[in-house]
Amino acid sequence: MMGVKTLRLYLSSMGILLKSQWQYPASFLMQTLAQLVMEGGEMLAVVLLVDRFDHLNQWSGGDLYFFFGLMSVTFYLTECFGRGITGQFPSMVRMGHLDTLLVRPRGILTQVMCSAVDPRRVACIAVGAVSLALGSRMAQVHWTLPKALLLLESVFCGFFLILGLFLTEAILCIHSVKSVEIANTLTYGGRSACQYPVDAFPRPLRVLFTVAAPFALVMHVPASRILEKPLFPWPTWTAWLCPLAGPAVFGLMAFLFSRAMRSYRSAGS
Amino acid sequence: MRAYLSVFRMRLRMETHYRGAVLGGILCQIFFGLILVALYRTLYMGKPQERPFAHVAAYVWLQQAFFRMLLSSDADLMDKIRTGAIAYDLCRPLDLYGFYYARIMAQKLMGSLLRGIPMLVFACLLPAGWGLCAPASPQALLAALPALLLGLMCVCAMENITMAFTMRTLDPRGIQALMNLAMMILCGNVLPLTLFPDRWQRVLALLPYAQMLDAPIRLYTGEYGPERAGEVLLIQAVWTGALILLGASLWRRNRKRLLVQGG
Repeated sequence: MMGVKTLRLYLSSMGILLKSQWQYPASFLMQTLAQLVMEGGEMLAVVLLVDRFDHLNQWSGGDLYFFFGLMSVTFYLTECFGRGITGQFPSMVRMGHLDTLLVRPRGILTQVMCSAVDPRRVACIAVGAVSLALGSRMAQVHWTLPKALLLLESVFCGFFLILGLFLTEAILCIHSVKSVEIANTLTYGGRSACQYPVDAFPRPLRVLFTVAAPFALVMHVPASRILEKPLFPWPTWTAWLCPLAGPAVFGLMAFLFSRAMRSYRSAGS
Repeated sequence: MRAYLSVFRMRLRMETHYRGAVLGGILCQIFFGLILVALYRTLYMGKPQERPFAHVAAYVWLQQAFFRMLLSSDADLMDKIRTGAIAYDLCRPLDLYGFYYARIMAQKLMGSLLRGIPMLVFACLLPAGWGLCAPASPQALLAALPALLLGLMCVCAMENITMAFTMRTLDPRGIQALMNLAMMILCGNVLPLTLFPDRWQRVLALLPYAQMLDAPIRLYTGEYGPERAGEVLLIQAVWTGALILLGASLWRRNRKRLLVQGG
């Protein structure tokens, strides 16, 4: 019952926020265009690398577009609908604005999730979707219902993984107002690295992105199953299990966040 | 001239005050550098290229070390444009363009030195094939240093042009974002310009963006031999001069049509 109410609150907040964003259409379109150029530039880098090198380990150009597209779609869906957490939240903690949320009769994470949406990211999601379609075409993926469901599961779980990683920054902010950009290495660094399959990297980075920030489990294992070139020699059903690492990371981080809130002392005045 | 120098010196000192942010920035940039070098290494192993890999690694590290030179802008100026406080600057007995040019140059210079030097030391300590290689020759290093200075002047000139557009649109997020993105791609930060298709490179190397970091890096790795140093420095100087002239004239025109926001 509570869940339904929360969801309704979230949806109506999204409606209000989208309406407010559309109040300045020229500025909105300009910024969306900037996003398109940004993600287009990232994709251009992949295209040019494929043009020069043909393949990365066992992965063909089409496979690489598929991995890139999966990361773009997932990461920017999170930046769009989870903007509350991925955007200003750490600085809200740092500046003491979090206090205003504490007096309202809702959970903090719920309120933060309802506080922002970033529809400009549609441009990045579109680039990712094109890359995903192009990749699956070039790699000649035979789409079946289970494969489509696996892709959806991967995106869904990736959403929570990325939210969870962004929460680390908020948690660090509670304990120290000093620079916490170091948390960016997991989020933005994870995106930059894991838009390529994880076996491109040396062992320490592979371990980092499989265990600590499990992009490999959430995205690369199911993607490689869809492409029928398994990343790890594990049985098929593990492809369904591995993405659950994403919600697990989110759950852990949400728990640590609520623990950290106990020692929260407002930084503002 | 004295006035501009003292603005420059004051800004230099101010930049040294945010040490915590510097440390975070360094760690972040090192991490990105490691990811990129690892990726390009794997690609190289799959299909070796004519250009030695050490040059690509050097390119990545130098780009990461001077990242702050490319992407940082004067937050005070942006606030002043938005709030209209820029009107007070008109009272200064100085040329506005020169005043802000000195400020942004100090900010970019100190910002990139503070981050760049520790990062380059780190990159030199990495094992061969991962880190920053030595310059191709002592002459290559001698040519790369003035080229880097000209590159800095070129970036600052471009930044002031971006600011001139911001003064018209007032919202920094549109045009500024677009110009910065163009810069990141065409400077070789997203992907080294040396990995672009060879045909494209001939054109890209002539654009103003290639004068900022690409030219000094290629002089350092010896891709442009010392005998071509004069030619490279000349192209850099011409672009820098042209961008400064364009920027200054845009600022003058903005000054004439300046409408101050606010009461």
